Amino acid sequence: MDSEGRPVIDASVHAFFASDRDLRDHLKEPFKSRGYPDVDVAWFAPPDGVRYAPGTQADSVIEQQAFGQPVTRMPGHPGSDPELVGRQLFEERGVDIAVLHPMSNAGILPDWHLSTAIFAAYNQMLVERWLDSGTYADRFRGTIRVNPNDIDGAVREIKRYSDHPRVVQIGLPMQTQSPYGRPHFRPLWRAAVEAGLPVAVHIEMGVGVTHPPTPSGITRTFSHLTAYQPMTFVWHLLNMIAEGVFEEFPELKIVWADGAADMLTPFIWRMDSFGRPHLEQTPWAPKIPSAYLADHVYFVHSSLDGPGADADFADDWLRMTGKEDHSMFGSSYPDWQMHSPDDLPRAWTPEQREKVLWRTAARLYGIELPLSAPAPIPVPASA
Amino acid sequence: MTIEMQRPKEASQEMTEVRVVDSDIHPTPKRGELTPFLPAKFRSLFENRATGAGSPVYYDAPDFAHSFAMRTDSFPSDGNFAGSDPDLMFRQVIMEAGCDLLILGPLNGGGQTDEEHHAVTQATNLWQDACWLDSEHNWHGRYRGSIVAAMEAPEAAAREIEHWAGHPMMSQVLIGAELRPAWGDPRYDPVWEAATRNGLPVACHLGRGQHNELPMSPVGFMTYNHDLMVSYSMLAANQVMSLIFDGVFDRFPDLQIVFIEHAFNWLLPLMWRMDAIHAKRGPENGLKRKPSEYVKDHIWCTTQPLDMPEDKLEFTRSLEWMEADKVLLFSSDYPHWTFDDPQWVRKHLPLHMQDKIMYQNALQVFKNLPETVPALPGQKRAQ
Amino acid sequence: MRERTTVRTPLARGREHVVATVEEIPPGEHKVVPIGRWGVGVYNVDGRFYAIANYCPHEGGPLCSGRTHGVTVVDPEVPGGAAESRAGEFIYCPWHQWGFELATGTTAVKPEWSIRTYPVRVQGSDVIVTA
Ligand code: FES
Repeated sequence: MDSEGRPVIDASVHAFFASDRDLRDHLKEPFKSRGYPDVDVAWFAPPDGVRYAPGTQADSVIEQQAFGQPVTRMPGHPGSDPELVGRQLFEERGVDIAVLHPMSNAGILPDWHLSTAIFAAYNQMLVERWLDSGTYADRFRGTIRVNPNDIDGAVREIKRYSDHPRVVQIGLPMQTQSPYGRPHFRPLWRAAVEAGLPVAVHIEMGVGVTHPPTPSGITRTFSHLTAYQPMTFVWHLLNMIAEGVFEEFPELKIVWADGAADMLTPFIWRMDSFGRPHLEQTPWAPKIPSAYLADHVYFVHSSLDGPGADADFADDWLRMTGKEDHSMFGSSYPDWQMHSPDDLPRAWTPEQREKVLWRTAARLYGIELPLSAPAPIPVPASA
Repeated sequence: MTIEMQRPKEASQEMTEVRVVDSDIHPTPKRGELTPFLPAKFRSLFENRATGAGSPVYYDAPDFAHSFAMRTDSFPSDGNFAGSDPDLMFRQVIMEAGCDLLILGPLNGGGQTDEEHHAVTQATNLWQDACWLDSEHNWHGRYRGSIVAAMEAPEAAAREIEHWAGHPMMSQVLIGAELRPAWGDPRYDPVWEAATRNGLPVACHLGRGQHNELPMSPVGFMTYNHDLMVSYSMLAANQVMSLIFDGVFDRFPDLQIVFIEHAFNWLLPLMWRMDAIHAKRGPENGLKRKPSEYVKDHIWCTTQPLDMPEDKLEFTRSLEWMEADKVLLFSSDYPHWTFDDPQWVRKHLPLHMQDKIMYQNALQVFKNLPETVPALPGQKRAQ
Repeated sequence: MRERTTVRTPLARGREHVVATVEEIPPGEHKVVPIGRWGVGVYNVDGRFYAIANYCPHEGGPLCSGRTHGVTVVDPEVPGGAAESRAGEFIYCPWHQWGFELATGTTAVKPEWSIRTYPVRVQGSDVIVTA
């Protein structure tokens, strides 16, 4: 719980393999011996070399290899040891439940067979190591990663895990060759809805076959890229609305896991204002675009989001376009951007904090809180 | 029945205050009118290519085959395209809508090579001078021109700016929006240098590029005109970040950039986002100030499209938080179908911002704008 | 030349006015008649007559210089999955293409907004509008 005793669901915790060898141990040949990029690459890495929050490296020492040669001995990758992660989140940071998102590079590989194989390894690791065993298994919930470039394989993978009680969502990469409204993705949405699982879209790590991260090519600075890339959801969302995805799948729920919910407000104002005359081209999406938000769209609230902790109008801003009902706190542990409930805007109302810290996530993921029996938090009658 | 026709009258001796400056209005050549102004080597080439060629449109505005993305009442009766008749523009925009000064922004397309792009700008500038800004067509003195420049050829563009900078009716430099890379790249410095040396703002208007400069999003192409046009603001958001994070305003402290028709509500959360990454990572590239400060001092957006939520109060508050009176310039976008009427725009702005946005800011930003003009009997006056 | 018209001497209110003969407004055609400040468009849609104010509630565009057509509906049976329904029953504003139903003046763009419409009847060869 947070410093005022509210429950906390951390909707974005990043789970990693301890090392490349660890991943390869979960792969079978021929995939085990393939070449693919690491999740951490030098391309647009932080210029000060600080990728992860201090103290998040796993205790185990692993040997990092490149081209078959040991190059360095280093602690296990941050976010790879369930015991350490559990201790830091649940004992030290006051988190009650953590939703894990396996961080991979597989979603942007050219060979879709290899992608699917790697994702399967991630899912096996996630379920065996985090959800089914260890001290904190009952506090972790998991995201099953699937490959949008292999729709049949993705649907099979969703079916494989959909009955697992601690699997709470499907994970897709933000970077795609075409926006998620396009019709070839529909079997994915159908499978997610049939499994009763929301779909989280998150920026894929590493490098791979992607379009440049902006409409004007690559950025020149890390700051620019880091602040800009989470806004990529805008294209997917606009396209999904116009293509009628939410009309066809009334149960579909999408979580934009990199935040940037602030952009929802101007872009949905614009889509509403500009949009209605276009109805003649898109009769499959007959409602005013903003009408599709309430039942379908969620955001992880990240450390770059909002008008800042001290803005006295932060409550009003969160209310606009219903962001207060769409946003879920996510720490991004163990990323350098990691933040905590104490960093949230002070002007938020108690009711808004309740929603963002746990209520919305509890409802979306079917998580029952409080876990034990601390005194219930009084919530204003309007909640 | 009696119907009163409003006709242009002679400008009177009496002077009247400028109350509306329209910063986005599009003159277009009559059929064949541009050709004589092209450099000789391109005349027949361009004509040959156009022979037998039809419409290249593929993101189509509503009812395109009848509207051509124009106000359908703006086509002159001589069969030429909307925006091709200086007298009709005068009547509809100045006399009937009440705009006092018009910053013409011709969009004559580009070429296939950098050299061709530049050639088209050269022709466009000569054509503006001869067919719009001359004493016959600009008898009322209400038209101002844009020095159109090809960013594909920055050195040549800088020379073109120098060539026209002394023209008493040229008020800005005009560039296209879609070229890669983004504006922070040093290759464009000659253009910023020439513009600032001559006290000219640089305005950027969206058009259409080709292929991955269409623009194409980082997740591929949008499906409809609706999602494409709404997401166009993402391109401008990236240009703002590029200009700031890549230090353009540190290199050119007097540079003023005007984003035309890219919407503007996104600027508010973008400022927060840029400031947040700046606070977390510190300045990269020796950036001298907080990102949002550069926005207030260097960036302008035009009002059209004026996108609003159902709840007008939300819009008003967001304008206040943004300090929109330091950012916005009125624009109509005549004769495009997205035309905004000045009286309609004014009434949606907070009272204390109205004069600044409708004309006072423009008088500061643009070159060669007088504060008073000869009155036009019968002109609708903004209130 | 396109010119914005304003009505200098509108017809008296609260009366019936013969505004045209039936032959003057064949099916698919319309005529703007001097009722109210901006005039009223009288439309013939397949023999049914409608009258609607020539002023768009959005930004004040000259509504009746727009084009009439139907609305698009989903039709999975046709190539492309969409079809036009109720052809000719809506007037689309020449400025921003908002469509208004000629019979009721309502718009799908903003359901709470509508435009004034007027009763029309045909008597003999006269088209009569009550305004
Ligand atoms: S003025 Fe008619 S649609 Fe805007």
